[in-house]
Amino acid sequence: MTDGADLERRYRRLLACYPATFRQEHEQEILAVLIAGAEEGQRWPRLAEAADLLRSAVYMRLHTRLQTSWTWEYRHRRVMVPVRIVIGIWLVTLTAILYGYGVGGWWGLLLVPAAAAHFYFAYRSLRHRVES
Amino acid sequence: MQEATFLILTALAGGTQHGYGIITDVERISDRRVRLRAGTLYTALERLRADRLVEVDREEIVDGRLRRYYRLTAVGQERLAAEAARLQANALVAMSRLDAIGVLR
Repeated sequence: MTDGADLERRYRRLLACYPATFRQEHEQEILAVLIAGAEEGQRWPRLAEAADLLRSAVYMRLHTRLQTSWTWEYRHRRVMVPVRIVIGIWLVTLTAILYGYGVGGWWGLLLVPAAAAHFYFAYRSLRHRVES
Repeated sequence: MQEATFLILTALAGGTQHGYGIITDVERISDRRVRLRAGTLYTALERLRADRLVEVDREEIVDGRLRRYYRLTAVGQERLAAEAARLQANALVAMSRLDAIGVLR
């Protein structure tokens, strides 16, 4: 009995690494799966199992954050698309001016990808629907 | 499509299943070669649900523990059918070429 309680407590500690929203919906369910897969008298999560949970938790966190920013971007696309296009054009112009005067140096490595990122965000908001 | 994803969809094509049911079924389908870990399973399920290939069927409490059952959606069935056909076509070509060089009896 205490073995089971120990194991459950340790599983819960691992599951605490998941984002709160995911945990709210799935913690009990995953816990049930982990307990069902545990052996009689097992007190510690297996190493590979713990590593797998951590990897999954990190993925969920990154994914959730990315999803949230895309959702925000998409929801504010009426403002963000023009803003990003203007910034993108400005960055391209700036790059052209700098190199035109022969003072660009390494700045292109920063400016060109930045401009591309702004155009990509604008393009993505125009083309894609984001799951809310 | 990753093999784990393919096997999860195949497990659900046999009917609704809860998490641990999927794990044991995938083990059976893959002839004990693939044993999904909980983290991998739920990462995959989360993605499959976001893509609307899989959805929650119902929830039950068994021995005080939550069991959530999942099922394949119509889109999920289509995707699995397409993927299975693709794998079969590839496998057929591989088999016939191996047969031609006498590797298969």
